[in-house]
Formats: sequence, structure tokens, C-alpha cells
Amino acid sequence: MCGLAALPFLLMYAVSAVQMAHNKWFNTKPASVSVGTPAVIDAGLVDAAVVAGKLQLRGDIRGKLPKFRVVVPSVVHEVTYIAENGVVTVNTTRARFMGVLNRLHHAAGLWPSYMPLRLWGVAIGLVSIATLGLAITGIVMWWQRKQDRVVGLILLGGNVAFALVVLGMIRAAGP
Amino acid sequence: MAALIRRLHICAGLVVFAQFLVYGIAGIAASVQPSLERPKVPREVRSIPFQREAGESDKAVAARVYELLKPELSRPVPDWFLRKNSEGNLLLDFYNINGIYRTVVEPRQLRVELIRNSAALFLEDIHAANLGGDPGPGLVRVWAAWNEAGIWALLFFCVSGAYLWLATRPGWKWAWVSLAASSLIFGAFWVVFQ
Repeated sequence: MCGLAALPFLLMYAVSAVQMAHNKWFNTKPASVSVGTPAVIDAGLVDAAVVAGKLQLRGDIRGKLPKFRVVVPSVVHEVTYIAENGVVTVNTTRARFMGVLNRLHHAAGLWPSYMPLRLWGVAIGLVSIATLGLAITGIVMWWQRKQDRVVGLILLGGNVAFALVVLGMIRAAGP
Repeated sequence: MAALIRRLHICAGLVVFAQFLVYGIAGIAASVQPSLERPKVPREVRSIPFQREAGESDKAVAARVYELLKPELSRPVPDWFLRKNSEGNLLLDFYNINGIYRTVVEPRQLRVELIRNSAALFLEDIHAANLGGDPGPGLVRVWAAWNEAGIWALLFFCVSGAYLWLATRPGWKWAWVSLAASSLIFGAFWVVFQ
């Protein structure tokens, strides 16, 4: 049940991981890039979030005035605002399906200013715990199958030994 | 058929068990990270005698510093990444999967800051190692090769897990409820993020 509850998220991680490992197999270019024409809003604004609000852009604010980005996984708005005269330009990049999966893969944490991204971060935390749960319950389920214990011990032992040695050697390299 | 798939599912899980632990810990580490910025506090600072030769270019100095330090699992700083600090000294960041050898070329010495990522950040980075593009030094490449198996195994587990459920317990109500709920939540996020 834990696996089914996490399935859509795990599928997203699996497909986007294949995409990242084999980038050439997929078209990850943006679906569209639009260059906005300059518009005029209130002059003298000092907060990027206020500028984004005036433009009715929703997403996580990255960067500071005069140039910042408003980010959601499928769309990135690059905003340039000149406080002296209120001239603002918005360039917008929209991702394709695989691009959105890629950005969802990288979206995590509770630090974004945009509430839906924070909620996503909570979901990802739960899915991460579920991933550990799946690994551990998988071990229990394997151990209950007596006919697979010997071969399983060889496979598991090999994997754990490999991981400890290789990760240990990498970690020992410094700095 | 279900018995065979179950056996493959279990065996594949044992082959990539450690990778799964790494993925889970990496996800938790990313979830509790306070910001995109990573701490860059050196755990140790070393001073190494070094004399910049008259007329020596930044590129030549960077190459000489790399030869002198030979920072493990790191590569030379590319030309486009050569920078100066606020005092005008050449700043060389030799990155590896564990952190940064931040080196400042001062008039008569190298100041080397050893900035080490936490174990959680290390696992976050190593979980992303793959054979596509430029997988980096040999040891990381070895991990990346097994990680590749982990990636494909994850995809296989999604399919085989769903198959095993439908083949053995299709009438299990709570399974349908779990899948429906998580699909709705995922779908809602997808719509909001458009």
C-alpha cells in the first residue's frame, strides 16, 4: 500500500531520472520561449514579490530587483523592472512534459516562498520516507521467502559491500 | 507469471538496496535543506607557500596550483570559472563530490579552505551520479554505473509492483484508495504548476 500511495511520485522520479541519465533520448528544449514587450507599472517598487503581484505572476521568487525570476515547475518568468520609471519586461519559458518532470524531480524543501511548492516539498519528504520504508519492508518480505534467502543474501551482501566500499572511498577523498 | 515477476522484483530490490536507501535519504535531506544555498564554512584552512611568477597568466597559475595541490576527485578549474576575490586575488574553486577546495592565490602563499559537505548533502549529490554526460572521476563513475541499475530498477519496481498488486490482490480496497488519493494529489500539483 505504501508503494501504491507513492507510485505517481516514484514514476515521476524514475522517468525523469532516465531522462537525466540519457538526456539525448529526449527533447528537453522548452516548449516555448516568449520575449515580452516592455510595459509600465508603478514606479519605485522595492520588493520583487510586489512586482510579481502587480503582474499577476504566481510562483517562487528567485533573485532580487531589478532582475528576478518567478518559478513554477512548468513555467519560468524572467522579470526585469526599472524602479525609476516602472518599466517592466517579462520573458517566459514554458517546459515540455519531460522538462516539467525534470523540474519536479529537483523541486523539494520547505524554503520556497510559493505555498504550492512548499506543499510539494512536504509531499516529497513523505515520499522519501516511503522510499526508505519500501526498501526496509522489501527486506522483511524477502526474508520471509525461505527459498530466496541464499541467493538474496549474496545479492544483498554484494550490494551493501559495494556501496560501503565505494562510498567510503569517495567520502575519504576529502576535502 | 506472477511468481516470476515477484522473484525478479525481490532480487532487483536486493541488488539496488543501498541505492534505494541513498535515494530516500537524499530526498529527506533535500526536504529539510533550509535554502538552495549550501553552507560554505571551511572545516580547515591551510597556508601553502606559493610565489606567482612575474607576468604569469591566471590560466597558468591555475594549472600550476592544480598540479601542486592535486585535490582528490577534482579537476582543473576551467578558464571560464577563473575569478578574483574582493582583494583582487585569484580565486580557484576545485569542486568534488565532497565539497570544495577553495584556494586563494595570495601574493606569497596559497590560502586553501577545505569546505566539506555534510553526509546528507553528499548523499544528495551522489544519488544524482549517472553515466550520461560527464560522470566525473573513476570512483564516482563506478558508483554511477550501479546507480544506473538503480534508476532502471526504480522504473521496473513501479511497473512490477503495480502488476503484482493487480495479479494477486486486485480487490484490495485500500490499495485502490491509496493509488487514487496519491494520483489525485499528484494531478492537482501538476495542474497548479502549469
